[in-house]
Amino acid sequence: MLKMQDISKVYRTDLIETHALRNFSLEVKSGQFVAVSGPSGSGKTTFLNVAGLLETFDTGVYELGGEDVSRLSDDARSRMRNEKIGFIFQSFNLIPDLDIYDNVDVPLRYRRMKAAERHSRITKALELVGLASRMKHMPSQLSGGQQQRVAIARAIAGDPALIFADEPTGNLDSLMARQVMDLLEQINEMGTTIVLVTHDPELARRAQRNIHIVDGLVIDSPPPYERRAGTDAAGSLAG
Amino acid sequence: MNIKPVVSALLRNRMGAVLVALEIAIALAVLVNAAFIVGQRIAMIDEPTGLDYHDMFAVTMAGFTKDFSLPSSVASDMAYLRSMPGVVSASPVGSIPLSGDGGNGVLYAQTGQHGNSAVYTTLQTDEQGMSTLGATLIAGRNFRPTEILPWSHAIDQAVPEIIVTQSLARALFPGRQALGQVVYDVRNRPMTIIGITRDFKGQVGAGTPPYNVALMPQLAGAFGGYYCLVRTEPGRAEAIMRRAERELAVRNTTRVIFYAHTLDYFKGQLDSENRNMAIFLVAVTALILAITCLGIFGLTTFNVSTRTKQIGTMRAVGARKRDVVSHFLLENAIIVALGVLVGCTLTLGVGYWLSRAYGMPRLDLYFLAAGVFILAAIGQLAAWQPARRAASVPPSVATRTV
Amino acid sequence: MLGYYLWLAAKSFRRNPGLTALMVGAIALGISTCIVTLTVYHAMSGNPIWWKNNILYAVTMDGWDPSPSDPYDPAHPQLAPPQLTYRDAQYLYQSTIPRRKVLITQLLGVLSGAPGETAPVHVMTHAVTRDFFSMFDVPFEYGGGWSASADSGPEPVIVLSKEQNDKLFGGADSVGQTILWNDHRFRIVGVLKNWRPLPRFYDMTTRRWGEPDDAYVPFQWGPALQILPGGNSSCWGDPVTTYQDYLGSECVWIEMWAELPTAQARERMQAYMDSYWAVQRKAGRFARPLNNHLTDVSDWLKVNGVVSSDSRILLRLAFAFLIVCLINTVGILLAKFLRAAPTTGLRRALGASRRQIFLQHLAEVATLSFVGAALGLALGAAGLVGVHAMYTYGGAYGVLARFDPIGILWALALAAVSTLAAGLYPAWAIGRLPPSLYLKSR
Repeated sequence: MLKMQDISKVYRTDLIETHALRNFSLEVKSGQFVAVSGPSGSGKTTFLNVAGLLETFDTGVYELGGEDVSRLSDDARSRMRNEKIGFIFQSFNLIPDLDIYDNVDVPLRYRRMKAAERHSRITKALELVGLASRMKHMPSQLSGGQQQRVAIARAIAGDPALIFADEPTGNLDSLMARQVMDLLEQINEMGTTIVLVTHDPELARRAQRNIHIVDGLVIDSPPPYERRAGTDAAGSLAG
Repeated sequence: MNIKPVVSALLRNRMGAVLVALEIAIALAVLVNAAFIVGQRIAMIDEPTGLDYHDMFAVTMAGFTKDFSLPSSVASDMAYLRSMPGVVSASPVGSIPLSGDGGNGVLYAQTGQHGNSAVYTTLQTDEQGMSTLGATLIAGRNFRPTEILPWSHAIDQAVPEIIVTQSLARALFPGRQALGQVVYDVRNRPMTIIGITRDFKGQVGAGTPPYNVALMPQLAGAFGGYYCLVRTEPGRAEAIMRRAERELAVRNTTRVIFYAHTLDYFKGQLDSENRNMAIFLVAVTALILAITCLGIFGLTTFNVSTRTKQIGTMRAVGARKRDVVSHFLLENAIIVALGVLVGCTLTLGVGYWLSRAYGMPRLDLYFLAAGVFILAAIGQLAAWQPARRAASVPPSVATRTV
Repeated sequence: MLGYYLWLAAKSFRRNPGLTALMVGAIALGISTCIVTLTVYHAMSGNPIWWKNNILYAVTMDGWDPSPSDPYDPAHPQLAPPQLTYRDAQYLYQSTIPRRKVLITQLLGVLSGAPGETAPVHVMTHAVTRDFFSMFDVPFEYGGGWSASADSGPEPVIVLSKEQNDKLFGGADSVGQTILWNDHRFRIVGVLKNWRPLPRFYDMTTRRWGEPDDAYVPFQWGPALQILPGGNSSCWGDPVTTYQDYLGSECVWIEMWAELPTAQARERMQAYMDSYWAVQRKAGRFARPLNNHLTDVSDWLKVNGVVSSDSRILLRLAFAFLIVCLINTVGILLAKFLRAAPTTGLRRALGASRRQIFLQHLAEVATLSFVGAALGLALGAAGLVGVHAMYTYGGAYGVLARFDPIGILWALALAAVSTLAAGLYPAWAIGRLPPSLYLKSR
């Protein structure tokens, strides 16, 4: 699904050169649930931006869904983001003056879908996250956890192959955090690849693989393992 | 007052600052040049006419029937007008002062179209013309009744004597006594100057100096029409004119009255172009200033609401409310100063172009100074209220992330 | 997609109603000011007979006073007088080179004897030869002009304006009735429709923006009744005593126009004039240098100084005002769009391409410009009514304040182009922001 080889990204200002990613290599197979963890400043955000096609990289090869992204134009990258990727951010990033329905609608609009198809997708996504009854509400009328679930609905409405979640539970209390993680696992079981970026090791353990980044380099990348049925968020996963 | 954070804030939104400064620059250029032009136009309107035109009116008529007789028509009209209560004086004239219509020509100080020459407007009238016009004699004498040439079929009659205004006299005989001198028209016909009056405006045609008037002792009417000029007691011109118009029409049906207007009307017509230009200029300038002011107000308010986090942080680290206000006022002041600076150059450039392209006088720098002051004041005042509102942002905003 | 963008634009406007009102108001004011000044300027500089611009030519010869102290127009001493002498006009009129030709002068006239005992009324009369009506496309409501024999007679025939016919005959068909013109019986042969070319290009010597002509009679009535012209007449040279003297003098008082549709015809006419000039010069006339011209209408208007410098200055001022309003708008739009950058970044992250972001913001700009322009048009119309009221004296300036279709088209084009141009930069700039820049991930 996602194949990065020797990716490097350098931020240059007049005085400083920051090597945010160095010789970064990673492979994520389709259907996996992968965590990318590391301390602050380790390059997780840069990884997310590059992997999510939000930023370009300097050297290396990046194949997403079998396609070499370095050759893509900005328009093609936008289309890829729209069709193949779903984003979930720490700060929900819902548009405040659109209601829930219209928020989930946003990525579908850029795909030029017909109204009927959009409607069915939005309804299904909101049903999955359990907020179908709140379609006409504004984000300010929802709790933090509910807002994040809307963001998840938005991310899956377009049936992306890959979802990037950036600290999805960072602003939530433990109960809401568990709901969100449960949802992510559910989505993963349905076949979507998930890459979770976090600094919380507890969270990282719920994934099948945990990739550590320090200073832009992959430190360890243990081989994938099968998930045990019946585990829950409170318990820690072995390995 | 630390200016660095102010400058860095400005540099972050360079484009926005540049746009406001540009607006201010243009507003300054418009304000100063428009004010200057308006000043000139008002001066032109206020230029003395030398006439008591509030108390004068004129009636224009022409005969059309076969039994029309100009001399008897003029005589009976004059008799009637002079008999009306409230009328001080009345005369037949060849052109109405301030009306824009009338004859003009060139006079020469020497024969054969030599010597000093001056363009002038003609004003044919009788011996009561001077008192009807209210012209003041400063040398020589008025026409005698015997000197007034009766009406003749001759289209372009020569007159032996004329009375001229001071300006005309000076133009023909600079530094010398003009009284008694002989002047010549384009056909070399001699005329003696028997009187000189204080300046007054003649009919004011395009291209003719308005104060160059020559009074000629003859009954005009070569084109079949004639004008009667009437001077009334103060404040009664309008009323007497209306009455006269009615009565004159009834008394003589061999001729028809074209129109009767007060000289106030003609003055207004003369001034209308200048007056309208002044109105336009004032209106547009006021609008530009209003838009600029509102624009600064709106943008500053908006910027303040966008930067609440920054303000909160400032307050959290110890800035007083006053410091926040000063910060925003200083930001605005820099933009205004920049705009005024560019505006000065623009103003001078526009002023120069106006003087070259349209023959206007060079811009008076006093106007520029006043304009700078006004625009700087408006620019700062516009940002005053938003800056004060900025000060009421609570410091707790600094820590909020969502 | 467009519906979506417009819906987003509406939401954006509602978020900041004050700023939106300011932007729309500023655009409207700027455009309305430009409309007012443009309409006035266009009407003043407009050619009232533009469709015949390459066909109609003013015929002028320069036989003025050679003395340098007595030019015809002291401000432009090299210009020939705009009118001809009687002798020259008669000679030139005989030429068969022009397809049509006309002599024009102004006479004072009084109409009386109309039915219903209306009082005698002064009428602005132009004495013209018969081709006047066809050359200048003068529209008739009833009847028509007169024949060639009526010109030479001259026959007592008269054409009335619509206004005069309304006043004297209540607007009815008065063709065939008689009326007294300057106490002579004249037969009405035609009544015009509303006709008011502004400026009155065929006779620019007096009141070019004034009231329309009231009546037309055959040209020779001036000489026949020995009526001196009621319009402009300028003389030099030997003194004139009798009317006969006047006709044979160097006094200029006649406008002549010729219809010369081809370049050949114009060359031949010019040659005709110049050879006449040479002959007369040998006989002692035309002492000034050769200065004979055939001038088309638009040049004629320029030469006669139709557009005042004031209206030019006002036009430029209006544009400066519009620019200020547009700068205002750009500044506010830029600030608005930049503030919404996080949301824009989010949309980009969710897959909007730069083009889609650009179009979304362009839709907002376009809506602003449309509403601003519509409001501007309404304000402009109100402004023109106000201008109409300001010009209480110059009858014509008041009439100028009419909305002509070309002016409206200009105004609309101006509105569309200027506001879109103003909004293009912010809309484009916001699309170029990298998607990651404003996304708060930490």
